[in-house]
Amino acid sequence: MNVLLAVLWKDLLTEWRSRDRVVAMLVFSLLVVMVFHFSLPGGASAQARENAPGLLWIAYVFAAVLGLNRAFAVELENDALSGIALVPADRGWVFLGKAAANVAVLGVVQAATAFAFGLVFDLDLARVALPLAGVVALGSIGICSVGTLFAAVAVRTRFREVMLPLLLLPLLVPVLSAAVRATASLAQTGEVGFAPVQLLIVTDAIYLIVSFVGFEYVLDE
Amino acid sequence: MSRPVSESAPHPLSVASGRPSLWTSGALLAGLLLLYAFLVASAPGDRVQGVIQKILYVHVPCAFAAYLGFAVTGVAGALYLWRGDERFDRAALAGAEVGVLFCTLNILTGPIWARATWGQWWAWDPRLTVTLILWFIYLAYLLLRSFTEGSERGARFAAVYGIVGLAAVPLNYFAIQLFGGAAMHPDNLEGDSLGPGMGWPFAISVLTGMAAFWHLFRLRVDLETRRAALDFAGESGPE
Repeated sequence: MNVLLAVLWKDLLTEWRSRDRVVAMLVFSLLVVMVFHFSLPGGASAQARENAPGLLWIAYVFAAVLGLNRAFAVELENDALSGIALVPADRGWVFLGKAAANVAVLGVVQAATAFAFGLVFDLDLARVALPLAGVVALGSIGICSVGTLFAAVAVRTRFREVMLPLLLLPLLVPVLSAAVRATASLAQTGEVGFAPVQLLIVTDAIYLIVSFVGFEYVLDE
Repeated sequence: MSRPVSESAPHPLSVASGRPSLWTSGALLAGLLLLYAFLVASAPGDRVQGVIQKILYVHVPCAFAAYLGFAVTGVAGALYLWRGDERFDRAALAGAEVGVLFCTLNILTGPIWARATWGQWWAWDPRLTVTLILWFIYLAYLLLRSFTEGSERGARFAAVYGIVGLAAVPLNYFAIQLFGGAAMHPDNLEGDSLGPGMGWPFAISVLTGMAAFWHLFRLRVDLETRRAALDFAGESGPE
Protein backbone atom coordinates (compact mmCIF):
# COMPACT_ATOMS: atom_id res chain seq x y z
CA MET A 1 0.00 0.00 0.00
CA ASN A 2 2.87 2.37 0.81
CA VAL A 3 4.39 1.45 -2.53
CA LEU A 4 1.15 2.39 -4.28
CA LEU A 5 1.09 5.81 -2.63
CA ALA A 6 4.80 6.38 -3.24
CA VAL A 7 4.53 5.59 -6.95
CA LEU A 8 1.35 7.65 -7.28
CA TRP A 9 2.95 10.63 -5.50
CA LYS A 10 6.13 10.37 -7.59
CA ASP A 11 4.20 10.27 -10.86
CA LEU A 12 1.88 13.11 -9.96
CA LEU A 13 4.79 15.23 -8.70
CA THR A 14 6.86 14.74 -11.85
CA GLU A 15 3.74 15.46 -13.91
CA TRP A 16 3.05 18.62 -11.93
CA ARG A 17 6.63 19.84 -12.32
CA SER A 18 6.75 19.44 -16.09
CA ARG A 19 3.07 19.25 -17.07
CA ASP A 20 4.28 17.95 -20.47
CA ARG A 21 2.09 14.94 -20.65
CA VAL A 22 -1.19 16.48 -19.55
CA VAL A 23 -0.76 19.48 -21.87
CA ALA A 24 0.07 17.27 -24.84
CA MET A 25 -2.93 15.02 -24.14
CA LEU A 26 -5.24 17.99 -23.67
CA VAL A 27 -4.20 19.76 -26.86
CA PHE A 28 -4.45 16.50 -28.75
CA SER A 29 -7.92 15.67 -27.55
CA LEU A 30 -9.17 19.21 -28.25
CA LEU A 31 -7.74 18.82 -31.74
CA VAL A 32 -9.67 15.58 -32.11
CA VAL A 33 -12.86 17.43 -31.13
CA MET A 34 -12.11 20.07 -33.73
CA VAL A 35 -11.39 17.47 -36.40
CA PHE A 36 -14.67 15.74 -35.62
CA HIS A 37 -16.48 19.02 -36.01
CA PHE A 38 -15.06 19.51 -39.48
CA SER A 39 -15.37 15.91 -40.60
CA LEU A 40 -19.05 15.76 -39.67
CA PRO A 41 -21.29 18.01 -41.72
CA GLY A 42 -24.00 19.82 -39.80
CA GLY A 43 -22.09 21.00 -36.74
CA ALA A 44 -24.38 20.98 -33.72
CA SER A 45 -27.22 19.16 -35.46
CA ALA A 46 -29.42 16.52 -33.84
CA GLN A 47 -27.49 13.84 -35.70
CA ALA A 48 -24.19 15.16 -34.39
CA ARG A 49 -25.59 15.23 -30.84
CA GLU A 50 -26.55 11.61 -31.22
CA ASN A 51 -23.04 10.69 -32.32
CA ALA A 52 -21.36 12.87 -29.70
CA PRO A 53 -21.02 10.22 -26.92
CA GLY A 54 -19.19 7.85 -29.26
CA LEU A 55 -16.95 10.63 -30.53
CA LEU A 56 -16.26 11.76 -26.97
CA TRP A 57 -15.00 8.30 -26.04
CA ILE A 58 -12.90 8.03 -29.17
CA ALA A 59 -11.21 11.28 -28.16
CA TYR A 60 -10.73 9.87 -24.63
CA VAL A 61 -9.16 6.65 -25.88
CA PHE A 62 -6.80 8.44 -28.27
CA ALA A 63 -5.71 10.80 -25.51
CA ALA A 64 -5.29 7.88 -23.10
CA VAL A 65 -3.10 5.94 -25.54
CA LEU A 66 -0.95 9.03 -26.00
CA GLY A 67 -0.54 9.49 -22.26
CA LEU A 68 -0.05 5.80 -21.45
CA ASN A 69 2.80 5.58 -23.95
CA ARG A 70 4.57 8.34 -22.04
CA ALA A 71 3.89 6.79 -18.63
CA PHE A 72 6.66 4.23 -19.05
CA ALA A 73 8.78 6.04 -21.61
CA VAL A 74 9.90 8.37 -18.78
CA GLU A 75 10.94 5.34 -16.73
CA LEU A 76 13.40 4.25 -19.43
CA GLU A 77 15.63 7.26 -18.73
CA ASN A 78 18.48 6.35 -16.40
CA ASP A 79 17.04 2.84 -16.36
CA ALA A 80 14.49 3.84 -13.72
CA LEU A 81 12.38 0.84 -14.66
CA SER A 82 14.98 -1.50 -13.20
CA GLY A 83 14.84 0.47 -9.98
CA ILE A 84 11.08 0.08 -9.90
CA ALA A 85 11.45 -3.67 -10.53
CA LEU A 86 13.59 -3.90 -7.37
CA VAL A 87 10.83 -2.61 -5.09
CA PRO A 88 10.70 -4.78 -1.95
CA ALA A 89 7.00 -5.51 -2.28
CA ASP A 90 4.53 -7.11 -4.64
CA ARG A 91 4.93 -5.39 -8.01
CA GLY A 92 1.18 -5.28 -8.31
CA TRP A 93 1.26 -2.27 -5.99
CA VAL A 94 3.60 -0.49 -8.38
CA PHE A 95 1.07 -1.23 -11.10
CA LEU A 96 -1.78 0.21 -9.04
CA GLY A 97 0.24 3.35 -8.29
CA LYS A 98 1.05 3.85 -11.95
CA ALA A 99 -2.53 3.13 -13.01
CA ALA A 100 -3.94 5.54 -10.41
CA ALA A 101 -1.63 8.30 -11.67
CA ASN A 102 -2.76 7.59 -15.23
CA VAL A 103 -6.42 7.77 -14.21
CA ALA A 104 -5.78 11.10 -12.47
CA VAL A 105 -3.94 12.66 -15.42
CA LEU A 106 -6.52 11.33 -17.86
CA GLY A 107 -9.31 12.68 -15.63
CA VAL A 108 -8.06 16.26 -16.00
CA VAL A 109 -7.99 15.87 -19.78
CA GLN A 110 -11.42 14.23 -19.82
CA ALA A 111 -13.06 17.01 -17.83
CA ALA A 112 -11.71 19.70 -20.15
CA THR A 113 -12.61 17.70 -23.26
CA ALA A 114 -16.16 17.09 -22.03
CA PHE A 115 -16.51 20.84 -21.46
CA ALA A 116 -15.34 21.58 -25.00
CA PHE A 117 -17.62 18.87 -26.37
CA GLY A 118 -20.63 20.34 -24.59
CA LEU A 119 -19.91 23.71 -26.16
CA VAL A 120 -19.22 22.50 -29.68
CA PHE A 121 -22.07 20.01 -29.95
CA ASP A 122 -24.50 22.03 -27.85
CA LEU A 123 -24.90 19.32 -25.21
CA ASP A 124 -26.07 20.20 -21.72
CA LEU A 125 -23.68 17.99 -19.79
CA ALA A 126 -23.60 20.18 -16.67
CA ARG A 127 -26.95 18.90 -15.40
CA VAL A 128 -25.66 15.30 -15.42
CA ALA A 129 -22.13 16.18 -14.35
CA LEU A 130 -22.03 13.92 -11.31
CA PRO A 131 -23.32 10.64 -12.79
CA LEU A 132 -21.34 11.38 -15.96
CA ALA A 133 -18.18 11.75 -13.87
CA GLY A 134 -18.91 8.35 -12.35
CA VAL A 135 -19.33 6.68 -15.74
CA VAL A 136 -16.19 8.39 -17.06
CA ALA A 137 -14.24 7.28 -13.99
CA LEU A 138 -15.35 3.66 -14.45
CA GLY A 139 -14.39 3.82 -18.12
CA SER A 140 -11.02 5.34 -17.25
CA ILE A 141 -10.28 2.60 -14.75
CA GLY A 142 -10.96 0.01 -17.44
CA ILE A 143 -8.77 1.81 -19.98
CA CYS A 144 -5.92 2.51 -17.56
CA SER A 145 -5.84 -0.99 -15.99
CA VAL A 146 -4.92 -2.99 -19.09
CA GLY A 147 -3.50 0.22 -20.57
CA THR A 148 -0.87 0.56 -17.83
CA LEU A 149 -0.02 -3.14 -18.00
CA PHE A 150 0.53 -3.14 -21.75
CA ALA A 151 2.18 0.29 -21.79
CA ALA A 152 4.91 -1.36 -19.71
CA VAL A 153 5.06 -4.09 -22.36
CA ALA A 154 4.87 -1.86 -25.45
CA VAL A 155 7.61 0.51 -24.31
CA ARG A 156 10.13 -2.32 -24.56
CA THR A 157 9.13 -3.62 -27.99
CA ARG A 158 10.56 -2.51 -31.33
CA PHE A 159 7.78 -0.15 -32.44
CA ARG A 160 6.88 1.24 -29.02
CA GLU A 161 4.17 3.79 -29.79
CA VAL A 162 2.62 1.64 -32.50
CA MET A 163 2.35 -1.46 -30.36
CA LEU A 164 0.14 -0.08 -27.57
CA PRO A 165 -3.04 0.72 -29.53
CA LEU A 166 -2.77 -2.60 -31.39
CA LEU A 167 -2.67 -4.47 -28.11
CA LEU A 168 -5.14 -2.28 -26.29
CA LEU A 169 -8.05 -1.50 -28.60
CA PRO A 170 -9.41 -5.04 -29.07
CA LEU A 171 -9.39 -5.47 -25.29
CA LEU A 172 -11.29 -2.23 -24.74
CA VAL A 173 -14.39 -3.20 -26.73
CA PRO A 174 -16.42 -4.09 -23.61
CA VAL A 175 -15.32 -0.92 -21.78
CA LEU A 176 -16.07 1.35 -24.72
CA SER A 177 -19.38 -0.18 -25.70
CA ALA A 178 -20.65 0.07 -22.12
CA ALA A 179 -19.25 3.56 -21.52
CA VAL A 180 -20.67 4.95 -24.77
CA ARG A 181 -24.10 3.46 -24.01
CA ALA A 182 -24.11 4.89 -20.51
CA THR A 183 -22.92 8.31 -21.68
CA ALA A 184 -25.51 8.42 -24.45
CA SER A 185 -28.38 7.59 -22.14
CA LEU A 186 -27.16 10.21 -19.65
CA ALA A 187 -26.91 12.87 -22.35
CA GLN A 188 -30.35 12.08 -23.74
CA THR A 189 -32.50 11.17 -20.75
CA GLY A 190 -30.39 12.24 -17.78
CA GLU A 191 -30.54 8.71 -16.41
CA VAL A 192 -28.46 5.62 -16.84
CA GLY A 193 -29.56 2.00 -16.78
CA PHE A 194 -27.91 -0.63 -14.63
CA ALA A 195 -26.73 -2.93 -17.44
CA PRO A 196 -23.89 -0.81 -18.88
CA VAL A 197 -22.73 0.24 -15.40
CA GLN A 198 -22.70 -3.39 -14.31
CA LEU A 199 -20.63 -4.36 -17.36
CA LEU A 200 -18.20 -1.53 -16.63
CA ILE A 201 -17.79 -2.63 -13.02
CA VAL A 202 -17.31 -6.31 -13.91
CA THR A 203 -14.82 -5.48 -16.68
CA ASP A 204 -12.88 -3.10 -14.43
CA ALA A 205 -12.66 -5.71 -11.69
CA ILE A 206 -11.44 -8.48 -14.01
CA TYR A 207 -8.95 -6.24 -15.81
CA LEU A 208 -7.62 -4.84 -12.53
CA ILE A 209 -7.09 -8.31 -11.10
CA VAL A 210 -5.35 -9.82 -14.15
CA SER A 211 -3.23 -6.69 -14.56
CA PHE A 212 -2.26 -6.69 -10.87
CA VAL A 213 -1.09 -10.30 -11.18
CA GLY A 214 0.31 -9.96 -14.71
CA PHE A 215 2.46 -6.92 -13.89
CA GLU A 216 4.74 -9.22 -11.93
CA TYR A 217 5.84 -10.77 -15.22
CA VAL A 218 6.28 -7.70 -17.41
CA LEU A 219 9.11 -6.14 -15.41
CA ASP A 220 12.57 -7.65 -15.79
CA GLU A 221 14.47 -9.19 -12.93
CA MET B 1 30.67 -13.01 -36.62
CA SER B 2 30.85 -16.78 -36.35
CA ARG B 3 30.97 -18.49 -33.03
CA PRO B 4 32.29 -21.98 -32.41
CA VAL B 5 29.63 -24.64 -32.14
CA SER B 6 29.88 -26.45 -28.83
CA GLU B 7 29.68 -30.14 -29.46
CA SER B 8 30.19 -31.22 -25.89
CA ALA B 9 26.80 -30.16 -24.54
CA PRO B 10 23.88 -32.17 -25.91
CA HIS B 11 20.63 -30.41 -25.27
CA PRO B 12 17.45 -32.26 -24.45
CA LEU B 13 15.65 -30.24 -27.07
CA SER B 14 17.89 -31.45 -29.88
CA VAL B 15 16.37 -34.91 -29.73
CA ALA B 16 13.92 -35.13 -32.62
CA SER B 17 11.48 -37.26 -30.67
CA GLY B 18 8.50 -35.69 -32.38
CA ARG B 19 9.10 -37.27 -35.80
CA PRO B 20 7.15 -40.56 -35.56
CA SER B 21 4.04 -38.90 -34.18
CA LEU B 22 4.29 -36.22 -36.85
CA TRP B 23 4.01 -38.99 -39.43
CA THR B 24 1.10 -40.46 -37.51
CA SER B 25 -0.80 -37.18 -37.33
CA GLY B 26 -0.02 -36.51 -41.00
CA ALA B 27 -1.29 -39.91 -42.08
CA LEU B 28 -4.40 -39.52 -39.93
CA LEU B 29 -5.09 -36.15 -41.50
CA ALA B 30 -4.57 -37.49 -45.04
CA GLY B 31 -6.96 -40.39 -44.40
CA LEU B 32 -9.57 -38.11 -42.90
CA LEU B 33 -9.27 -35.67 -45.79
CA LEU B 34 -10.09 -38.43 -48.26
CA LEU B 35 -13.11 -39.49 -46.25
CA TYR B 36 -14.09 -35.82 -45.80
CA ALA B 37 -13.93 -35.08 -49.53
CA PHE B 38 -16.06 -38.13 -50.29
CA LEU B 39 -18.67 -37.41 -47.61
CA VAL B 40 -18.98 -33.70 -48.36
CA ALA B 41 -19.29 -34.37 -52.09
CA SER B 42 -22.02 -36.93 -51.54
CA ALA B 43 -23.85 -35.03 -48.77
CA PRO B 44 -27.33 -33.87 -49.76
CA GLY B 45 -27.73 -30.27 -50.87
CA ASP B 46 -29.83 -27.97 -48.71
CA ARG B 47 -33.45 -27.71 -49.78
CA VAL B 48 -33.54 -23.93 -49.50
CA GLN B 49 -29.91 -22.78 -49.73
CA GLY B 50 -28.68 -25.23 -52.36
CA VAL B 51 -25.02 -26.02 -52.79
CA ILE B 52 -23.76 -22.93 -50.91
CA GLN B 53 -24.77 -24.60 -47.67
CA LYS B 54 -21.83 -27.01 -48.09
CA ILE B 55 -19.54 -24.18 -46.98
CA LEU B 56 -20.71 -25.28 -43.52
CA TYR B 57 -18.24 -28.16 -43.74
CA VAL B 58 -15.37 -25.65 -43.97
CA HIS B 59 -16.71 -22.72 -41.98
CA VAL B 60 -17.61 -24.45 -38.71
CA PRO B 61 -14.55 -26.76 -38.39
CA CYS B 62 -12.34 -23.69 -38.94
CA ALA B 63 -14.16 -21.88 -36.12
CA PHE B 64 -13.68 -24.81 -33.75
CA ALA B 65 -10.00 -25.13 -34.66
CA ALA B 66 -9.49 -21.40 -34.14
CA TYR B 67 -11.14 -21.41 -30.71
CA LEU B 68 -9.07 -24.45 -29.77
CA GLY B 69 -5.88 -22.69 -30.85
CA PHE B 70 -6.67 -19.57 -28.81
CA ALA B 71 -7.53 -21.64 -25.75
CA VAL B 72 -4.21 -23.49 -26.10
CA THR B 73 -2.40 -20.14 -26.29
CA GLY B 74 -3.99 -18.83 -23.11
CA VAL B 75 -3.52 -22.02 -21.09
CA ALA B 76 0.01 -22.70 -22.35
CA GLY B 77 0.94 -19.07 -21.65
CA ALA B 78 -0.27 -19.40 -18.06
CA LEU B 79 1.67 -22.66 -17.66
CA TYR B 80 4.77 -20.98 -19.08
CA LEU B 81 4.58 -18.16 -16.54
CA TRP B 82 4.01 -20.69 -13.77
CA ARG B 83 6.64 -23.31 -14.67
CA GLY B 84 9.04 -21.35 -16.90
CA ASP B 85 9.29 -24.30 -19.29
CA GLU B 86 9.99 -23.12 -22.86
CA ARG B 87 7.97 -25.97 -24.31
CA PHE B 88 4.80 -24.28 -23.06
CA ASP B 89 5.86 -21.07 -24.74
CA ARG B 90 6.35 -22.86 -28.04
CA ALA B 91 2.90 -24.46 -27.69
CA ALA B 92 1.41 -21.01 -27.01
CA LEU B 93 3.01 -19.53 -30.11
CA ALA B 94 1.94 -22.48 -32.28
CA GLY B 95 -1.62 -22.30 -30.91
CA ALA B 96 -1.90 -18.60 -31.76
CA GLU B 97 -0.43 -18.95 -35.25
CA VAL B 98 -2.52 -21.94 -36.27
CA GLY B 99 -5.55 -20.41 -34.52
CA VAL B 100 -5.21 -17.15 -36.48
CA LEU B 101 -4.89 -19.15 -39.69
CA PHE B 102 -8.15 -21.02 -39.04
CA CYS B 103 -9.85 -17.89 -37.76
CA THR B 104 -8.92 -16.11 -41.01
CA LEU B 105 -10.40 -18.97 -43.03
CA ASN B 106 -13.52 -18.83 -40.87
CA ILE B 107 -13.89 -15.06 -41.34
CA LEU B 108 -13.33 -15.39 -45.09
CA THR B 109 -15.80 -18.23 -45.63
CA GLY B 110 -18.48 -16.62 -43.45
CA PRO B 111 -19.27 -13.61 -45.71
CA ILE B 112 -19.49 -15.83 -48.80
CA TRP B 113 -22.18 -17.86 -47.09
CA ALA B 114 -23.82 -14.82 -45.52
CA ARG B 115 -24.12 -13.02 -48.84
CA ALA B 116 -26.01 -15.99 -50.26
CA THR B 117 -28.31 -16.65 -47.30
CA TRP B 118 -28.59 -13.48 -45.21
CA GLY B 119 -28.32 -11.18 -48.22
CA GLN B 120 -25.36 -9.18 -46.92
CA TRP B 121 -21.62 -9.76 -46.69
CA TRP B 122 -21.22 -8.65 -43.14
CA ALA B 123 -23.93 -8.55 -40.47
CA TRP B 124 -22.78 -7.43 -37.02
CA ASP B 125 -24.13 -10.62 -35.51
CA PRO B 126 -22.84 -11.36 -31.97
CA ARG B 127 -20.92 -14.52 -32.81
CA LEU B 128 -19.38 -12.87 -35.85
CA THR B 129 -18.34 -9.82 -33.83
CA VAL B 130 -16.76 -11.88 -31.05
CA THR B 131 -14.79 -13.90 -33.61
CA LEU B 132 -13.60 -10.71 -35.29
CA ILE B 133 -12.42 -9.26 -31.95
CA LEU B 134 -10.63 -12.55 -31.17
CA TRP B 135 -8.95 -12.39 -34.55
CA PHE B 136 -7.67 -8.89 -33.76
CA ILE B 137 -6.49 -9.93 -30.30
CA TYR B 138 -4.44 -12.86 -31.54
CA LEU B 139 -3.15 -10.91 -34.53
CA ALA B 140 -1.85 -8.37 -32.01
CA TYR B 141 -0.39 -11.30 -30.05
CA LEU B 142 1.59 -12.43 -33.11
CA LEU B 143 2.71 -8.85 -33.82
CA LEU B 144 3.86 -8.53 -30.24
CA ARG B 145 5.91 -11.69 -30.62
CA SER B 146 7.47 -10.51 -33.86
CA PHE B 147 8.32 -7.11 -32.34
CA THR B 148 10.14 -8.75 -29.43
CA GLU B 149 12.11 -11.20 -31.57
CA GLY B 150 11.86 -14.42 -29.67
CA SER B 151 13.53 -13.21 -26.49
CA GLU B 152 12.62 -14.61 -23.08
CA ARG B 153 11.10 -11.22 -22.28
CA GLY B 154 8.97 -11.44 -25.39
CA ALA B 155 7.71 -14.85 -24.32
CA ARG B 156 6.64 -13.41 -20.95
CA PHE B 157 4.95 -10.41 -22.56
CA ALA B 158 3.09 -12.64 -24.98
CA ALA B 159 1.98 -15.01 -22.23
CA VAL B 160 0.48 -12.13 -20.24
CA TYR B 161 -1.28 -10.82 -23.34
CA GLY B 162 -2.59 -14.26 -24.22
CA ILE B 163 -4.10 -14.64 -20.75
CA VAL B 164 -5.72 -11.19 -20.78
CA GLY B 165 -7.00 -11.94 -24.28
CA LEU B 166 -8.66 -15.08 -23.00
CA ALA B 167 -10.17 -13.17 -20.06
CA ALA B 168 -11.58 -10.66 -22.55
CA VAL B 169 -13.59 -13.33 -24.39
CA PRO B 170 -16.52 -13.65 -21.94
CA LEU B 171 -16.54 -9.87 -21.42
CA ASN B 172 -16.80 -9.27 -25.15
CA TYR B 173 -19.47 -11.87 -25.44
CA PHE B 174 -21.43 -10.28 -22.60
CA ALA B 175 -21.03 -6.79 -24.07
CA ILE B 176 -22.21 -7.85 -27.49
CA GLN B 177 -25.14 -9.81 -26.09
CA LEU B 178 -26.12 -6.65 -24.24
CA PHE B 179 -25.75 -4.11 -27.04
CA GLY B 180 -25.11 -6.00 -30.25
CA GLY B 181 -27.35 -6.55 -33.21
CA ALA B 182 -29.78 -9.39 -33.67
CA ALA B 183 -28.32 -12.90 -33.66
CA MET B 184 -28.33 -14.41 -37.12
CA HIS B 185 -26.25 -17.51 -36.54
CA PRO B 186 -28.33 -20.61 -35.76
CA ASP B 187 -28.50 -21.27 -32.04
CA ASN B 188 -27.40 -24.87 -31.91
CA LEU B 189 -25.73 -27.22 -34.25
CA GLU B 190 -26.45 -30.31 -32.21
CA GLY B 191 -30.21 -30.02 -32.52
CA ASP B 192 -32.40 -29.88 -35.57
CA SER B 193 -30.54 -27.29 -37.61
CA LEU B 194 -28.82 -30.00 -39.68
CA GLY B 195 -30.93 -31.72 -42.30
CA PRO B 196 -31.14 -35.51 -42.74
CA GLY B 197 -27.96 -37.01 -44.16
CA MET B 198 -25.84 -34.06 -43.02
CA GLY B 199 -24.89 -35.47 -39.62
CA TRP B 200 -22.01 -37.72 -40.68
CA PRO B 201 -20.44 -35.31 -43.16
CA PHE B 202 -20.57 -32.64 -40.47
CA ALA B 203 -19.09 -34.88 -37.76
CA ILE B 204 -16.24 -35.99 -40.05
CA SER B 205 -15.57 -32.43 -41.16
CA VAL B 206 -15.22 -31.32 -37.54
CA LEU B 207 -12.93 -34.28 -36.89
CA THR B 208 -10.88 -33.42 -39.98
CA GLY B 209 -10.63 -29.82 -38.80
CA MET B 210 -9.31 -31.01 -35.43
CA ALA B 211 -6.82 -33.35 -37.16
CA ALA B 212 -5.66 -30.51 -39.40
CA PHE B 213 -5.23 -28.30 -36.37
CA TRP B 214 -3.31 -30.98 -34.51
CA HIS B 215 -0.99 -31.73 -37.42
CA LEU B 216 -0.21 -28.07 -38.18
CA PHE B 217 0.21 -27.41 -34.48
CA ARG B 218 2.70 -30.28 -34.17
CA LEU B 219 4.61 -29.10 -37.24
CA ARG B 220 4.82 -25.58 -35.82
CA VAL B 221 5.99 -26.79 -32.41
CA ASP B 222 8.53 -29.05 -34.09
CA LEU B 223 9.88 -26.15 -36.14
CA GLU B 224 10.16 -23.95 -33.05
CA THR B 225 11.89 -26.76 -31.13
CA ARG B 226 14.46 -27.14 -33.90
CA ARG B 227 15.03 -23.41 -33.96
CA ALA B 228 15.60 -23.38 -30.21
CA ALA B 229 18.03 -26.32 -30.52
CA LEU B 230 19.89 -24.47 -33.26
CA ASP B 231 20.08 -21.29 -31.18
CA PHE B 232 21.37 -23.34 -28.28
CA ALA B 233 24.02 -24.98 -30.45
CA GLY B 234 25.04 -21.58 -31.80
CA GLU B 235 25.75 -20.17 -28.37
CA SER B 236 29.35 -20.38 -27.29
CA GLY B 237 28.89 -21.46 -23.70
CA PRO B 238 28.78 -19.09 -20.72
CA GLU B 239 29.30 -15.45 -21.62
